[in-house]
Amino acid sequence: MLEVKGMKFPLDRKYYTKDGAHIWLKSEDDIVKVGMDAFAVEMAGLLTYLTVTGKQTEGGEAVGSFESAKFVSRFYSPISGQIVDINEEVIKNPRKINDDPYNSWIFAIKPNPVEYNKKYILDKEEDIKKWISEELKRVEEDE
Amino acid sequence: MKVFNLGELQWKQTQLIYHTLANMNIECLLLHSTKQKYVCVGLHQDPRTEIDINYCKKNNIGIFRRETGGGIVLLDKNQLFFNIILKKSNPIVPRFPQNFFKKFLQPVIKTCNEFEIKTEFHPICDLVVNGKKISGNGGGELGECNVLVGNILLDFNYRQMTKVINSPKKLKESYYNLMKQNITTVKEELGYIPSKEKMYKVLTTKYLELLGPLEIGEVNEEINNQIDKLDKKYFSDEWMYQRGVKKNGYEIKIREGVFLFYKIIKTLNGNVEIICQTEENIIKETIFSGSILSLKDNVGKIRKKLIGMEYKKVDLDLLIYDLIKKYGGVTVA
Repeated sequence: MLEVKGMKFPLDRKYYTKDGAHIWLKSEDDIVKVGMDAFAVEMAGLLTYLTVTGKQTEGGEAVGSFESAKFVSRFYSPISGQIVDINEEVIKNPRKINDDPYNSWIFAIKPNPVEYNKKYILDKEEDIKKWISEELKRVEEDE
Repeated sequence: MKVFNLGELQWKQTQLIYHTLANMNIECLLLHSTKQKYVCVGLHQDPRTEIDINYCKKNNIGIFRRETGGGIVLLDKNQLFFNIILKKSNPIVPRFPQNFFKKFLQPVIKTCNEFEIKTEFHPICDLVVNGKKISGNGGGELGECNVLVGNILLDFNYRQMTKVINSPKKLKESYYNLMKQNITTVKEELGYIPSKEKMYKVLTTKYLELLGPLEIGEVNEEINNQIDKLDKKYFSDEWMYQRGVKKNGYEIKIREGVFLFYKIIKTLNGNVEIICQTEENIIKETIFSGSILSLKDNVGKIRKKLIGMEYKKVDLDLLIYDLIKKYGGVTVA
């Protein structure tokens, strides 16, 4: 488990980073579960709504939206494939993601056989640490 | 970057224009107002649950579901609308919504202050005068852009707001009173309403200071064609009634931190109705009614548990259910 400024990043999964996305993906048998990481949750604040509308998706495509702080953000699929399951528990109560982001998967995707654009997917501790540090720096600059 | 100062528009145009410009990735400041009144809900809301649709139809009040965040609003000619549309990749755009609101609402604060209305930023995105909201805002990602959607209340029809909202009747009076306590308008602050042109002129100047030079924008044929396309999308039933989000209890937001929460619990002894009122996100008051004969002696215990609790940090719906089950002296159905 990697910890940066109190935010945890389990190393049993990968992280999708394109265009500021903070999405974790974890393989389970032939599917990949997808959720929001601790940084996304910290920055978003309390999640009030979450929807997943896509079914068949290309990597990097918006497949849903979430709302926090009266701002609607898009939720992107990190990989191409078919969305085979949606976690209705977190759709109904997105606060579960605030409470426990890594046990609150949002949807499960059956990846297309030819995958992935690994450019935006991190799985090494040092890479994740560097990425989060850069992200924190951007937050400071924002403020 | 462009500025579109469009004056008074047909009500539908006031929504379609910023959706269109954002989808076309045109960075701009957009100033306008509506000729007719209408109600507008956020992306994640369902008009059927939020709005008294029959009342709106009878009174020729339009209905719109926008692609940005926030809740139900009643919009009319006594409000100034402003939108900021900026590409997410633009270096001046803060990455996180809280900072985005804070930065791009500064010109609105300065404008109000110039009219001697001492206005402050109230996180997350309200502007307040002595704690009362004078400007409501929301935002979202549209196309490749971040969009800020806001208004300044010149005057407000509080009574009509209670009518367009689809809330239980007994909540409407509390809602009215809370709005009066927590919302203000330019008219209430100054005793008069300056001309919209004058206010927009100041607002443009203040945005110029933040954004740099602004080129006058015109709604050309290409933009009009896109507006027509989006008109079809946003006024289809498929879009309007797409959400169908189920609610746990009923919540009305008056301003940041001030909510009314209403819940009916079915029990074998009849329904128990509960209203919780918050101040700065803390539950300050609870009102119990309905068939509470058995519950009566235990209401105090339940109140004690609820009052002082931080709203939003708890699943109030489930908590109330559990408290009534535990202390209510009734059998929850």
